Formats: sequence, C-alpha cells, structure tokens
Amino acid sequence: MSVIDRSVDIGGFVPQPDDDMLICRCEEITKGEIRKAVHAGMWTMTEIRRYLRTGMGLCQGQTCSRLVKGIVARELGVSPAELEPATARSPMRPTEMKVLGKEVS
Amino acid sequence: MDRYEVIVVGAGPSGLSAAIEAAKRGLNVIVFDENDKPGGQLFKQIHKFFGSKEHHAKIRGFHIGEELLAEAAEVGVEVVLGATVIGLYSDKEVSVRIGEEIKHYKGDTVIVATGAAENMVTFPGWTLPGVIGAGAAQTMMNIHGIQPGKKILMLGSGNVGLVVSFQLLQAGCEVVALVDAAPKIGGYGVHAAKVARCGVPFYLSHTIKEAHGTDQLTGVTINEVDEKFRPIEGTEKYFEVDTICMAVGLSPMSQLLKMAGCEMEDNPKRGGQVPIVDEYGETSVSGVFAAGDVSGIEEASSAMIEGKMAGVCVCGYLGYITDEEKDAELLKLEKDLESLRQGMFAPKNRGKLIEKTEEGIDISMNLLKKGYVADDEIERFPGVVHKVGVHPVMECTQNIPCNPCQDACSKGCISIGNNITCLPFIKEDSNCINCGMCVASCSGQAIFLVDEDCGDGTATVTLPYEFLPLPEVGDKGYGLSRNGEKICDAEIVSVKSVKAFDHTNLVTMKVPKEYAMKARFFKCS
Repeated sequence: MSVIDRSVDIGGFVPQPDDDMLICRCEEITKGEIRKAVHAGMWTMTEIRRYLRTGMGLCQGQTCSRLVKGIVARELGVSPAELEPATARSPMRPTEMKVLGKEVS
Repeated sequence: MDRYEVIVVGAGPSGLSAAIEAAKRGLNVIVFDENDKPGGQLFKQIHKFFGSKEHHAKIRGFHIGEELLAEAAEVGVEVVLGATVIGLYSDKEVSVRIGEEIKHYKGDTVIVATGAAENMVTFPGWTLPGVIGAGAAQTMMNIHGIQPGKKILMLGSGNVGLVVSFQLLQAGCEVVALVDAAPKIGGYGVHAAKVARCGVPFYLSHTIKEAHGTDQLTGVTINEVDEKFRPIEGTEKYFEVDTICMAVGLSPMSQLLKMAGCEMEDNPKRGGQVPIVDEYGETSVSGVFAAGDVSGIEEASSAMIEGKMAGVCVCGYLGYITDEEKDAELLKLEKDLESLRQGMFAPKNRGKLIEKTEEGIDISMNLLKKGYVADDEIERFPGVVHKVGVHPVMECTQNIPCNPCQDACSKGCISIGNNITCLPFIKEDSNCINCGMCVASCSGQAIFLVDEDCGDGTATVTLPYEFLPLPEVGDKGYGLSRNGEKICDAEIVSVKSVKAFDHTNLVTMKVPKEYAMKARFFKCS
C-alpha cells in the first residue's frame, strides 16, 4: 500500500486548454474537474471516486479508471503505479437493485 | 448454495483450458462467463496463429475456440453463459448474476481468467461517435458482420493494431493511416508488411492532435512528436475519416482478485494492476488462481498454457493427482510456455530496440519505421534466395517463435534450424514442387513462390491472398511493391483455393522479370 505524503506542496491549480475534455463519460466528469479535485485535497483514487463519482457509472470505470489515475498522478507528480487503485467491491458490474435484492441460494 | 471443486471465471482461452484440465481428471467444474457466447476473444480472431503445432500454429483463432468448446463439452465442463460474477470473496465464495437473480456458489478452488479491457487515450474529440476500440471494430466485423466505418484511422501499431487493420481491409474498409507515437512498430513485422503492401501508410512518432466533428467523427488531425512525445508544431496532417480505432494496449480486469484479498501490484510490464502469482498462477490466497491476461497481458497462445497450468495445479491442490504427476505435467507446460516467450518480442525484450537478429543480421529499420522491408534490405535475410525455377522466397526477418513453414513442405525444402525462433532458410539441393503449402501455412503471409525467369522476359510471383472477390485467371492489373505502390503491370495466371490452404488463396501473377523480387501484391485495374 502506497503512502501519500500530504505535506508535499503540489502548487496551485493552473488551468490547461483541454480542461473541458470529458474523461469519465458515464458520469460526465472533465479533466479540469479531476485536476481541481486533487487541489481540493483528493489525493487517493478512493477519495476522487467518492468526490466526483468518476468510474461509478455504467461501465464501472472500465474505460476511465486508468485515465483518471494518470491525471491524478501527473497532478501529484508521482508515477501512476504509486497510486493505490480504488477499492474493488461487489457488485463488480452495474446491477439493478431489484436484481441485487433477489438472492437465491 | 451449490458447491463445486473448481469455479472458473471467464470462458476465454485460458478459462476453458483450465476447466478442461481439471474436468478431464474427474473434478466437477463450473465456468461462468458474462457473455452470451463462450470463447472470449478467440471467436474474433480470424487470422492464423503463430507458434508450433503444440500452440495450435497456423490454425485460425476461432477454430481454436471451437476445438476448446468441443473438448470442454466432451470432458463434462459445465459452462454457464450470461452469468456475471459480481463478487469473489477470500473464502472462495462467488456471487453470480444469472438472469434476474443473484446466485451464490462455493468453490474448493477458484480460477480467475477474466482477461483484459482495452485502454483508451484522450484527445479533443475522443468521445465523438466513431472513435472506438480496435476490439470493438473486431467484434463488429468478425462477430456481427458489420463494417465499423468506411474510412478508418488506426492508432497503435502493436499486433492488435496491425491485425485489426488487416481485417478492416479484408472487410472492405479503407484504412487511411496507421499511427503510433512510438518511434518503431510494436507488433510483428510480418503483420505490418501485409498491411503495408495493401498501401496503408504508417506514421510512426505521430499521435492524434484532435478528432473533428460535432455529432459524429468527420476527420482527424495528427501531428509528429519528438522523442519525449511532445507535439512538433507545423507537422499537422489531416485525414477525412468516419472512424478512429484505438489499439493502445490492454489492462488486466483484475478487480475480482483484489476483492478476494489477493496481494496485488501495479506492474507496467504486465499491463497494470495484477495479482502477485507464483509461476503457475496461484495468488496469495491459497486455492485462488489467476490465468491468462488477467495476470499479465500476453496473447491467446500463452493464455491457454497458463490456463492448463492452473487446471493442473487445482488437481494437485485437491489431491486428484500426485505431486509427481503434477510436476511432470507442469514441466511439460512450462517448456511450451517458455518456447512461446522467446525471440525479439518476448516479454523480457519489451521496450528494447533490437538491432540484430539471433543470426547476427541487421534488422530492417525500414520495417520498424514504415512497415515493410526495403528493396535494398530484403536480400540479406536467409529465406530470400535466388534459384532457377520456382522456389519459395521467405520474407521472414524477425525472430519470432513460429515454425509451420518447416512442417508444411513435404519435400523438406524449408528449415528453421535448431531454435523455433530462427529465421527459415531454404535447404541446398531442395526440390520445390510449387505445391504452395508453405505459402498457405505462413501465419505472417510472408512466403512467396517466385519463378524469377520464365524465359520470355517475365517472372511469376505466387502470393497469399485473403480478400474477396478473388481475382480470376486472365485478370489484368498492377503488381504492388512492398509498400503498396503500383510498380508494374501484372496478369493473373493461376488462382488456387484448396481445403488444405484453409482460405488462404494462392494467387499467381505474371510480372516483368525485373520485378520478380519487388512485386508482392496484386491490384486489379
């Protein structure tokens, strides 16, 4: 498990020309929103996910989780490999509540 | 809750291989797959596989899938389709969505063979309809019989990008460019060469700057990048396209293993988040195994062997075979796997620039940059020789583990030498009978039968042809060079399609004799 040193100064948010580019398509989260979230103190993938809902839509992060991780890592100045991915938990695939509630054994 | 000795998640090449190994030794095995059809990615693979006989070489991927399914059925593997595993827990309990219900199963062992998902890269416009994964394009073409688009730009020159580009051409699409930010082509040179000879231009050290369009993709601008992948201004090139395919790598779908509490690592060499496994795929959770792409991106041939290893291991784990039997089986499988992991493209060589073949011959730099071996480079390779009469010319220039050509020739003309990765050469005093088996057997479509001098100022070149409509004898057109340029007039003198060629047709064209070693494809006028 990687440790995030929150005493490091990562500087302020600097706008970039492609900040309006969608990264998480399911939840419609842009690159700028993700970068701003880092500057708002969301330094782990779990925090980012709870704060913005990236990767919590229909595809469950299949497309964007790698992209989001890359953006957060770049903003923090670390390698993406150093960031712990968000928690994996059931249900692994989007599942309607009525199905989830219908357990049979 | 139903209990099984082995629960396999994923009915792709590795999952099915694992299930077969376990079931044939008497274990009760259930396989879950979220798709409606089993076989994973194999049923999209219409090209012939590389390797040796043990690796199903020269057999098309979907046929390998059919063989696996038949074998699984024969040994009593229960495959449940439309079954999405939504949870895996450390006590080897599995929750599965089947239809409108959640069912729970308990496994004595669990083999996770969930494969991988496609990566994407972002650029302005990447969310426009028309920007798709190469895998999606493959699904549309090879499963559903639909063209993904008419004019396509492929991003990524790994084997996926190259193979899918060729399949797009086969499906009648126009591939306007093959683009990669890397300075050299990532996949097999032979795959690149068969795309290049159809006239597809390669843009290495280029990336997508922007995709254009409002409601759908209408065009794309690429630009050159420097060695640090920074765009170089003034190098923009525009292409009118309706589709961009991305073949920019795969990420293991390993979340179930993480959920089960397996120790994980982020390993860029394996493609991302992967479980830490021993050499046979057992994770840190005893009795939970990982096999195939989920434990590190490779390809279907190695995934099948890894699956077999996991299958053998669970038999040992549950006491169905002795340690000696297990070790003997694993030793054999390890040898098969090791032979696949040889050569220039072996996992250990990933990212390295290899400048010489194992034989000490300079690698074609033109092949790495432009997708084809230049005329002044081709003569240095051992498969390219000059003889009187018809003889094979093997434009195999990189060390990859593959040997069907050697077995294909009943006259023993072709040899690979001691090592499966060696470049093929023509044996001295060999007698080619023009049967064409070598041409059809080469998964890289790199073998041609050439008669350099027919005596009347012409030469004949027999080439592998996997397009429709097939040319007919008497058709006139052009001989194309290795980069797809029209270089001479050509006339079709023979078209052979026999069952043993497995849909690789042999088309023979007559060209002026000075083009015998240059013309490598045919285009009707």
